[in-house]
Amino acid sequence: MRVEYQYTYAATPEELWLLLNDENVLQRRLPGCKRLVPVGEGKYAAELGLDVGPVKGLFNGEVELVDPRPPQEYRLHVKGSGKPGEIDADAHIRLERKDGKTVLTCTADAHVTGIMASVGQRIMGGVAKLLMGQFFKGVDQELKRARS
Amino acid sequence: MASVFGTAIKRREDPRLITGNGRYTDDVQLPGMLYAAILRSPHAHARIRGINVEKAKRHPGVVAVFTGRDVAGKVAPIPTAWLPPDSNIKTPAHPALAVDSVRYVGDGVAMVVAESRYVARDALELIEVDYEVLPAVVDPEKAMEKGAPAVHEEVPDNVAFHWQAGSDPASAFQDAEVVVRHRFRQQRLIPNAMEPRSAVAQYNAGSGEMTVWVTSQNPHIHRFLLSNILGIPEHKLRIVAVDVGGGFGSKIPCYADEALVALAAKELGRPVKWTEDRRENFLATSHGRDEVIYAELAGKRDGTMLGLRIRMVANMGAYLSTAAPGVPTILFGLITVGPYRIPRAHTEVYGVFTNTTPTDAYRGAGRPEATYVIERMTDLFAREIGMDVVEVRKKNLIPAEEFPYTTALGLQYDSGNYHGALQKALEMVHYEEFRKEQERLRTQGRYIGLGWSTYVEICGLGPSQIAGAVGFQGGLWESAAVRVHPGGKVTVFTGASPHGQGEETTFAQIVADRFGIPVEDVEVVHGDTDRIPMGWGTYGSRATPVGGSALAVAADRILEKARKIAAHMLEVSEEDVEFADGKFQVKGVPTRQVTFQNVVLQAHLAWNLPAGVEPGLEAQAFYDPVNFCYPFGAHACVVEVDVETGQIKVLRYVAVDDCGPVINPMIVEGQVHGGIVQGMGQALWEGAVYDEQGQLVTGSFMDYAMPKARFFPSFETAHTVTPAPHNPLGVKGIGETGTIAATPAVVNAVVDALAPFGVADLEMPLTPEKIWKITHGRDA
Amino acid sequence: MTTTKTVVTLKVNGVERTAEVEPRLLLVHFLRDVLGLTGTHVGCDTSQCGACTVLLDGRGVKSCTVLAVQADGHEVTTVEGLARDGELHPIQEGFWEKHGLQCGFCTPGAMMTAVELLRQNPNPTDEEIREGLEGVICRCTGYENIVRAVKYAAERMRG
Repeated sequence: MRVEYQYTYAATPEELWLLLNDENVLQRRLPGCKRLVPVGEGKYAAELGLDVGPVKGLFNGEVELVDPRPPQEYRLHVKGSGKPGEIDADAHIRLERKDGKTVLTCTADAHVTGIMASVGQRIMGGVAKLLMGQFFKGVDQELKRARS
Repeated sequence: MASVFGTAIKRREDPRLITGNGRYTDDVQLPGMLYAAILRSPHAHARIRGINVEKAKRHPGVVAVFTGRDVAGKVAPIPTAWLPPDSNIKTPAHPALAVDSVRYVGDGVAMVVAESRYVARDALELIEVDYEVLPAVVDPEKAMEKGAPAVHEEVPDNVAFHWQAGSDPASAFQDAEVVVRHRFRQQRLIPNAMEPRSAVAQYNAGSGEMTVWVTSQNPHIHRFLLSNILGIPEHKLRIVAVDVGGGFGSKIPCYADEALVALAAKELGRPVKWTEDRRENFLATSHGRDEVIYAELAGKRDGTMLGLRIRMVANMGAYLSTAAPGVPTILFGLITVGPYRIPRAHTEVYGVFTNTTPTDAYRGAGRPEATYVIERMTDLFAREIGMDVVEVRKKNLIPAEEFPYTTALGLQYDSGNYHGALQKALEMVHYEEFRKEQERLRTQGRYIGLGWSTYVEICGLGPSQIAGAVGFQGGLWESAAVRVHPGGKVTVFTGASPHGQGEETTFAQIVADRFGIPVEDVEVVHGDTDRIPMGWGTYGSRATPVGGSALAVAADRILEKARKIAAHMLEVSEEDVEFADGKFQVKGVPTRQVTFQNVVLQAHLAWNLPAGVEPGLEAQAFYDPVNFCYPFGAHACVVEVDVETGQIKVLRYVAVDDCGPVINPMIVEGQVHGGIVQGMGQALWEGAVYDEQGQLVTGSFMDYAMPKARFFPSFETAHTVTPAPHNPLGVKGIGETGTIAATPAVVNAVVDALAPFGVADLEMPLTPEKIWKITHGRDA
Repeated sequence: MTTTKTVVTLKVNGVERTAEVEPRLLLVHFLRDVLGLTGTHVGCDTSQCGACTVLLDGRGVKSCTVLAVQADGHEVTTVEGLARDGELHPIQEGFWEKHGLQCGFCTPGAMMTAVELLRQNPNPTDEEIREGLEGVICRCTGYENIVRAVKYAAERMRG
């Protein structure tokens, strides 16, 4: 399943890059994030609580930042498993300067198994977009908070 | 007394079913019973590096946990029972629980047995399996490509079998003025019988007797296979399947789960029950269809069909299920010419392994696919030569006077009046008026369409000699025993195992009619291998033509003996006795008669029997049909397509079927209704979807569109009657005709409605989205 | 999972029944496994098929979406309680008379749904009946004869 999300920030790519790589911001803004512990360079052990329509569950796994090219792009690899199944998602995040602002484009490819796949997949696309929206809007709020 | 044969009497199975007194497998409660749950693979293809069951074993309430290694050697691999000859068939072992590899999402990995349903489920989550995920292949054509992942290492090209029938029709194609070529996709369907599969096993260690209650369409086949799988001899193994909540083919196969439950009962010394939930049913109960078909039809501009070439790639799933190889070969490949006089034809079928749930028979099994292809091709041919679709059909339907008719694929169609059925349907539809109305509405921007399906199918499976010749690993005859009790009541034992088709009623009608007794005096027993000598079950519309015929033969044996006794009682010779309305009477002397009941009593008392006649009154028959049955008919569907929303509304559905003499019109009509709905389901809504990783993304009723009441108009049904010449009742099957006929009728109707948009074909299911894209000029 | 059990008391088909149950026990499993009333069936796990429909205080509910503890103190009618004094309920008669069932598995739930439908609308049209059967999945009958059965019952009940 492929999902794309775009968000425009009133900030420079450099400012945004710092926030996106701030583990406190991640912990606060990753939807359903209950725990985020660094376990290596750009690598975190995570516990995420997710609701996908009728499927609810707690996922344990790993979040890893891969191939960072500050302040232009990086990949985020999320792997987790829980009672409803397993998730394996690869998100490509690009930051582009445009008219003094920054357009963030996130393209994610996700694979799921278990009940998430057989029951949840129908609405997964919508849920993924919603979660991405929560995260990137959350980052925007962090940006505004940092400035105030 | 009026004959009960042919009357719409109320069903005799209903009083228990409408009061909650049915006894389905999951209703069985035994003292000390344990519950099993099965852990299923979340991956379509993976190597199992390790399984840790320790936490599950320690969980309170858990009695035992079994893995593939634990059961290997105790439960033999699950076999396939249909091996088409000359097809180079590969049958890789299908272990009851995976040992090294899992090959589809739903493949069994471990079994937990616990004190309650809930605890067994809880413990599944405590089993840790270390999988090494491997590349998977889902699409049957991709599975045949070079470099595709091999589902089984020993079958590197994934081809399970390659089968052919007929002879090269090249000459027909040389003579052709027109050749129509098309590729069809038969989407995968989920049978979804409303009762999930279930098994309850009880073992008596003292006597060595094992009883398994199981959701089965064919308990004796289950006994046959489970006896081999479990190493329990048949005379110590009892299979019970009295009330079964629908099957539609999905309860023909013998499944690993059933063997595992029996093993657990034996090992643990307590009864064990396992019942799948619906999600498990979606993943681990056999699916239907899923084929790609390439068709080429050669013909002349005057509408004459000359030759047909068919190539099918059939998705068999990860393993060959019990009857699976017979579906695309015999049940599809031999009837691709349909009801038409096509002098040359050839069918070629590739059965292919993929990392998906195994497929097997699903209502109609092969015949819906064959009918779909020939009926769509007929419309495409008509379109190509600019001829009316009804005219093309009339031109090519086999004429009534040519029966029995041997087709280019070697089948001998027993009897038929195909033009008669079509004529009746034309009259019901008011065809000419419809065309005028269609024109008128089009000028108003409304799009209605009419689709035809003139079908013939092969059922009443079948002559055992042919079963053997086509590789079915069993016979296809049927048994019947008729036991007449001293008071004149009758118990009938049939090897057919009905599960909703109403044979407790129709079989009683057959016997009551023959004996001239009230239908209430006949009880029909089925679905228990301890009570029924032998049988081959209910599928392939065989219960009435084969099982019913067996019953007629047995009943006639009773009458033969009763006539001897009656003649003795009346002190005349046998030839002077006639039997009618339940009475033996001296010919021409109505005052000299004895009732059936009098004779029955005398047979049992045996005070004064004719010389050489044994006491008692019981007969048995093992009836092997000499040919299949070929029911036929003409169905027409009228739809309106809302080109703004893409919604399709079915306005009318007309079904004219010919299944020979009708025993119970109410039951036959019910079979037709249900069949039509399943056929329409495939045309318009149903379809199983896998993602590229082999995850079934339509794994619940939220995602898989099941037909609902509000989707349908009231159906218009009618019959013509052309008896089967080769069985004692003249009957043909009716259980699958609706499913076979309806799918192409609906699609032909929608294509007809959308003709102004240049539509020639549509891929099923015809969802509003697909239609909307067409009517809005987007790529479908 | 160790869970504290709770005592529930329900009036089922007019008889008071008390049992100790896990809080997570579904009403349908309470009826089937605890009380042995196996007429109510389970056909799915997403509340779509309606095979488990019963009446809770006279209103149709899918008993796979109700916990036994939620039904504590309430009245439940199952298919076993439809007939009174040996007389079939009109809906049972309708299903029998009009061949509204084949395998019979969805039938108890379909009949309970029909009872609820007729409670809300004693004189439904064919179309209203089909709409009212939205929560019922039947794989055998094609629904046509279920519609006829409900109509038959409606006429009988209106007298």
